[in-house]
Amino acid sequence: MSSNFTRAVVGAIVVVVAIVLLVVLKSDDSSTGTSSNASGKVPTIVVKNGEPVGGIRDLTYNKGEQIHFVVDSDVSDEIHVHGYDIMKDVKAGGSVSFDFPASIEGVFEAELEGRKEQIIELTVNP
Amino acid sequence: MNLVLPLAHALVARKDLPIPAWLFAWGASIVLIVSFFALSAAWRKPRFEDERWRPLGAGFSRVLLGVPVQVICGAVGVFLLGFAIYAGLRGTEAPDRNFAATFVFVTAWLGFPLFSVIFGDVFRPFNPWRAIGRVTGGAFAAIAGQRAAHLAYPKALGRWPAAIGLLAVVWLEVVYGGSGGVAVGLSPHAIGLAVLFYSLYTLAMMGLFGVEEWCQRGEVFSVYFGMFSHLGSFGVKDGRLGRRLPLSASTHWATIPGSAAMVIASIASTSFDGAQDGAFQSSIQQVFEWLADTGITKITSLRLTDTIFMLLTFAGVALVYLIGIRGMASVRGAPPLKKLRMGFAHTLIPIAFAYLVAHYFSLFVFQEQAQFTYLLSDPLGTATTDLFGTASGGIDFQLLSANAIWYVQVAALVIGHVVGLTLAHDRATAYWGDYRQAARSQYWMLAVMVAFTCFGLYLLSVSNT
Repeated sequence: MSSNFTRAVVGAIVVVVAIVLLVVLKSDDSSTGTSSNASGKVPTIVVKNGEPVGGIRDLTYNKGEQIHFVVDSDVSDEIHVHGYDIMKDVKAGGSVSFDFPASIEGVFEAELEGRKEQIIELTVNP
Repeated sequence: MNLVLPLAHALVARKDLPIPAWLFAWGASIVLIVSFFALSAAWRKPRFEDERWRPLGAGFSRVLLGVPVQVICGAVGVFLLGFAIYAGLRGTEAPDRNFAATFVFVTAWLGFPLFSVIFGDVFRPFNPWRAIGRVTGGAFAAIAGQRAAHLAYPKALGRWPAAIGLLAVVWLEVVYGGSGGVAVGLSPHAIGLAVLFYSLYTLAMMGLFGVEEWCQRGEVFSVYFGMFSHLGSFGVKDGRLGRRLPLSASTHWATIPGSAAMVIASIASTSFDGAQDGAFQSSIQQVFEWLADTGITKITSLRLTDTIFMLLTFAGVALVYLIGIRGMASVRGAPPLKKLRMGFAHTLIPIAFAYLVAHYFSLFVFQEQAQFTYLLSDPLGTATTDLFGTASGGIDFQLLSANAIWYVQVAALVIGHVVGLTLAHDRATAYWGDYRQAARSQYWMLAVMVAFTCFGLYLLSVSNT
């Protein structure tokens, strides 16, 4: 029984170390909980040829903050923020501004509805 | 080449936030503490092998198992099957506005496992293919004056057809449907065709091997939902409803070949769905780009990549389980490897259920609001019908906070872990005469369970951006 016990303790230590390592390593690359848009500058997403320049833009907010961004588009389409279900039309060469409170927690897509092209990944932390 | 991977679920307007690091650490710590308690405070004689069956009042059985209820349930099942096919083929191509997508992949696919655990095998009376098969069989017997003859089902095949079918259903949903090249899921038309095709296949197999035989071994949905019903305490025996010790029925579930494959397929497919836009995303992206560079089209490359990763996940989950089994076989007094492999398969059912709850709980709660509002009143998504006056309804995404979802996810995994350990320990005390050897064998299953639970927590904690 005692050798079993030692083995169990050794096993436990190995697993705990593995988990601690994992958590420490994880916390290095993630900086969740802070709003990515605290600088005060309104993020602008530029759409060229129906695709977001620089890939899908990540926007992160905390619940209760004001979500505010602008989309410049060279194509005419409807921009749909899923979950919040906010839809606005944009004309080719025009721009449209979104301004609404971050009231729902989760990860949401905003896309060019007609093209089914995602342009923003919107994250709202609690 | 910089290709952007398309997203899997267009059905879902909202995705869960990854669980934060502190909750991950707490969850994993609780798992370890619980596990070591399990090692020390263990019982020495099996407790769950005997069901302690107690029949409910005869009135319950007469009504609930009676012909009128069977006919009504069967008719409801057949109607819903037909309607799902009709909505899929004739309704809108927008998956989130079409009855078929949510009904098949959320209401039925996720709802039945939940209700099966609570109320027993509720799919059986509603199973539309079983209902059609029984009516056809009855009509044949009445006309021909004798029962239809069936082929003998090959014993070695066991539940393998169901396990492969389960992978096929999930493949259709998350690999084929997730790879449309744009952010749409499986199109409702494809769902309608798939359900139609599956119905023809199932009815043909029932004709070959017999309705009940096929439902027990080959019919994906019967076997899959039935598996979860073995965790709960309600069941039917000798034509009577009754109660048994919770979990006890599961100890007799894995007596047919392929049962382990079934539960492993369940864990693997949920894992893959959770990992494809999280933990596996960058690896998938790499393989995808490599394939796309060889000249294969974008969609084919992506489907191929996802298929490879899904099969790898299945192999990985199977490998962890088989290592645990090998390890147990090395303990003195162990039964043959084959017996061990089958004998511990049921201990993974709680893990499979925990994975389902952790990954799909919020999706189910949100999407069912759609199912019972606009998808019910405007099932084809044509915006011209309003059958029940709820067509303008929507999903209240504030119903669950991120915190509530995280706690449910972690609680599900921890509880699944404890139940899995309990069943594994119980089985060990039944297989090893000597209590100490039984306890030693369980270091191996403990490692298996810790691996699955921590992997589950890890999948939930990886950001999907």
